[in-house]
Amino acid sequence: MFRMVSIIAFLVAFGGICVHCIASAIAKRYQWRPIDILKTLVHLFTLFFCEQKLRWVGVLRKLIYLLALLCFVVLVITGFYPVLVYGEQLGGFLLMLHATFAPVFAACLAVLAVFWADNCRFNKNYWPWLQRALGREAVNKAGVKKYELAQKMCFWLIVILALLVILSIVLGMFPLFGTDGQKFLLNLHRYSTLLLALAAIVHTYLIIRIQMER
Amino acid sequence: MRKGLLVTGILCWGVFVSFAKADTDEKLLGDVGDGSRAIPVHLIPLVDEEGTKISPGDEPLLPFSMRQTCDLCHNYEKINRGWHFNAAEPNVAPGRPGQPWILVDAGTGTQIPLSYRPWPGTFRPEQLGLTPWQFVQVFGFALLGGGVGELLDESDNPDEVMRGFVSGKLEVNCLSCHDADPAHNQGEYAIQVAHQNFRWAAAATSSFASVSGSAKSMPDTYDPFMPDMLDDLKLVPPTVVYRENTFDHKKRVFFDIVRKMPVERCYFCHSNVNVDQGGEEKWTADEDVHLAAGLTCVDCHRHGLDHDIVRGYEGEDKVSKNPLAATTSCEGCHMIGRLGALVPRHPGIPPVHFDKLTCTACHCGPWPGQKTYRGKTSRAHRLGTHNVNKAPDALPHIMFPVFANQGGISDVYLGRLVVLIGNRKIAPHKLIWPAFWGWLKGKKVTPVDLETVKRTAGRIIDNKKLSRSGDWPSLADEDIAKVLALLKTTEGEPVYICGGKLHRLDNNGNLTAIEHDVARPYLWPIAHDVRPAAQSLGARDCEDCHSTDEPFFFGEVEVDSPLTSEMGSIKRMIEFQDLDPLYTKLFAMSFVFRPWLKVVALGSCAVLAAVLLLYALRALACIARALVGGDPKRGKGRLGTRED
Repeated sequence: MFRMVSIIAFLVAFGGICVHCIASAIAKRYQWRPIDILKTLVHLFTLFFCEQKLRWVGVLRKLIYLLALLCFVVLVITGFYPVLVYGEQLGGFLLMLHATFAPVFAACLAVLAVFWADNCRFNKNYWPWLQRALGREAVNKAGVKKYELAQKMCFWLIVILALLVILSIVLGMFPLFGTDGQKFLLNLHRYSTLLLALAAIVHTYLIIRIQMER
Repeated sequence: MRKGLLVTGILCWGVFVSFAKADTDEKLLGDVGDGSRAIPVHLIPLVDEEGTKISPGDEPLLPFSMRQTCDLCHNYEKINRGWHFNAAEPNVAPGRPGQPWILVDAGTGTQIPLSYRPWPGTFRPEQLGLTPWQFVQVFGFALLGGGVGELLDESDNPDEVMRGFVSGKLEVNCLSCHDADPAHNQGEYAIQVAHQNFRWAAAATSSFASVSGSAKSMPDTYDPFMPDMLDDLKLVPPTVVYRENTFDHKKRVFFDIVRKMPVERCYFCHSNVNVDQGGEEKWTADEDVHLAAGLTCVDCHRHGLDHDIVRGYEGEDKVSKNPLAATTSCEGCHMIGRLGALVPRHPGIPPVHFDKLTCTACHCGPWPGQKTYRGKTSRAHRLGTHNVNKAPDALPHIMFPVFANQGGISDVYLGRLVVLIGNRKIAPHKLIWPAFWGWLKGKKVTPVDLETVKRTAGRIIDNKKLSRSGDWPSLADEDIAKVLALLKTTEGEPVYICGGKLHRLDNNGNLTAIEHDVARPYLWPIAHDVRPAAQSLGARDCEDCHSTDEPFFFGEVEVDSPLTSEMGSIKRMIEFQDLDPLYTKLFAMSFVFRPWLKVVALGSCAVLAAVLLLYALRALACIARALVGGDPKRGKGRLGTRED
C-alpha cells in the first residue's frame, strides 16, 4: 500500500515539476538551444555557491541549508529505496546510514527554522481577498514576488511535518508505546516522511525558481 | 470383460480401504465424551496379551497388556499413531526439528543424534546398525512404548525374533502419562526395559504389581505363557505379582487414570538441567512461569483421542491435523488473554523484532551467559532412572541456549522431505556437536556402524583411560590417525567427525580437518522454561542484546570435541544466525550513540515546536488585531482600545 502510494506521489510531484518547468519555459519563449541549456545548468550550479555579499550569518545559513539538503537526499534514498525497489522494510547498512544522517538533518532543520521563520511570515499582501472582505485598504500586489507565497507555505509545512517525522520515530525509542502504538508511529513516520519529502522537493524547486527569476 | 474386471477390482479395493479405515478410526465406548468434565472411574478388568481376563489365581500369572486392557474402551491403534509413538512411520510430518535420541559411546568417541523422523542433521538408527530391537534396548527407558516398541517381531534377524517372543513387545504404556497414582514408578519401567521385560514393563510401573526376574537371562526357548522349570536354578524368569486386594469381587482393578496428568509424569522424559546453574539441585532453579502460575503441560500441549499432541510452535497448523494447533501457541493465548494469559504490550520494542524473533528468543531458557551452558535432559542422560550418572561432565554434551535461526517446518510427500515454511526466525536452541566415525564417498559421509567402530576404534581408544565421569577420553590427533588407518576399507575413505569438522588422513598419513556439512551441529529449539516478562531479554533496555559484549549475538558457543587439540574452541552465536557479523557489530556499537540521537532529535523537536508556537501566536495576534481593530485608518486597533 505504502509502496504504491509513494510511487504515485513521487511520480506526480516530479511530473508536476517537469510540466511546470516546460510550461513556464514555453511561456517565456525559452530558446532550447544547447548553449542556452548549458547556461541554465551552469546557473543552477552556481546556486550552490555562497554569494560574496553575504555576511557570515548568511554564509552559515546557506551552508546549513546545503547540509540539510544533502542529508535530505541521503535520507530519502536510504528510506525509500528498499521500500520502492524491493518492497522491504528499511534494514541493514541502509538503516545505519539513515539513522546517522537523521539527527544531522533534524538539527539543521531546527536551525533553518529559526533562521528562516521571520522571513517566511505571511503578510497582508498575500490575502487581498481577505483585506477586501474586512473593508481594509487595497494591498500592494507589486510587493508579492512570484512563487513567494507557495514557497513560504512549503516552509511552514516542512516545519510541521518535520516535527511529526522526528517525534514519530524518537518516541518509539522510549518505552511508552506498545506494539500497536509502535506500528502506528511507524506508519505515521512513513506517511509524514512521504509528505515531508514532497514538500521539500517542491520547496527546493520553488527556491530555485525564485533564484532564477531574479 | 477386461474393463468389467478392472471396475470390479477398483470397487473391491475401495470397499476394502473404507472398511480398513473404518476399523482403525472406530470410536469405542471411552472415545466419545458425553460432555461431563468429571473423571470416569477406571474400575476395569485386566487383560493379558492374548486377550484373556486376568484372575488373581491364574497360573502362570501374566502381566496385563495395555493394548488388550485399554482397547476394551479406547481405540488403541488410533492412539498408537499419536506423536509420542509414530516416529518410525514414514508418512508422518516431522514438523519442526525436535530433540533427537543421542547415541553415546565414550569408548569410541561417539555422540550422534538419531531419529526415525527425517529431521535434517539426524541419522536414522539403522545407519548406525541399530535394529528396532537394539534401539528399544538403548532408548526404551524413555519410550512410551508403541511404535518402534511394537516392531520387534518384524526383525530380519531370527535371533531377535526369538528374543522378541521371550520378552514380548513394548506396548504403549498408557500409565506413563495417565496414571495419577502417586505410587506410579516410571523409573521401574527403565529397569524392566534393561532386563528386556518388555511385556512386563507397563505392569511394573503400576502401584499394584511388582515384577521380578529378567527375560534377558532366559534362553531363546523360554515360553512365558507355559514356563517350564529352568535348568539353571540361578536364573529368575520374569514374573508378575499383583498386590493383595488389587482385584475386587468382580476381578476388576482400579486405575487412577486422569485426562489432565500431573506435570511430574511429563517431567520423567522432559526434565532439563542446567549443569552450570545449580545442576541437579532442583531447589536452586525456578520452574517454568506457566507451571508456577498453576497451569500444567497439557493445558497447552493438548490432543484428542488420536494423541496428535500440539507441540506449540508457530506454523504447526501447516503440518498438524490437530484443530488446536493454530491457536495453541504463545500467540494463541497471549494475544487474546486465553486462560488468564497476560496480553503483552511490549512498550518500546520495535515491531520488527516480532518478524525476526520467536517469542521464546526473549522469554525462554536461562538468561544467556557469556558462554553457553552445559545441559542435561532426561532422554539424553537418563535422568530419573536408577544408577544414573550424575557427573556434570557426563556425555552427551548439550550446549544451550544457542540463539540460532530455526530450521524450517517440514512435511513428507511421496517419501520426500518437503520444507513447507522456511522459518528463519531466531530462537534459543540446544545443540550437540556430532562425533562419529564415517566413510566418505564423494561428498557424502555414511556413519560406520557402532559394532565395527568398537572393534577397531575401541582397540585404540580403550587403551586410553576412560573418564569415570563419563566425559570424553582425551584423544590426540595420533589416536584418530591410527583408527582411521585401521578403518580403511572399500566402503570409502574413513573419516572422523567431531568439533564441527571432518577429520581425514592426507597423503602423508597426517590428520587434517576440513569443514563439512555433516559435521555441523544439530540444534533443536527450546521453549521452556519460560521466564517472567520482567526477566525477559529487552526488559531492561535495548543493550540486553544490542551491545558488542552481550551474548545474544556475540556469546561464545562451546565447540565440543574429544580431541585435545580442539578442546576449548568456540564459535560466536552470530555464526548461527545468518547475519553479517560486521553489520551486527556496527549496529550494536551504534547503540552507544543512541542517547545522543535521542537528545538531538528531541532538542530539534523542541526548537521546531517553539518556532511554530511563537509564529502561531503571532499569527493569532494578527488575526485578533484584524478582527478587533476594525478600520485600520483609525489606528493600530489594539485590543480594548477600539474607539467606535
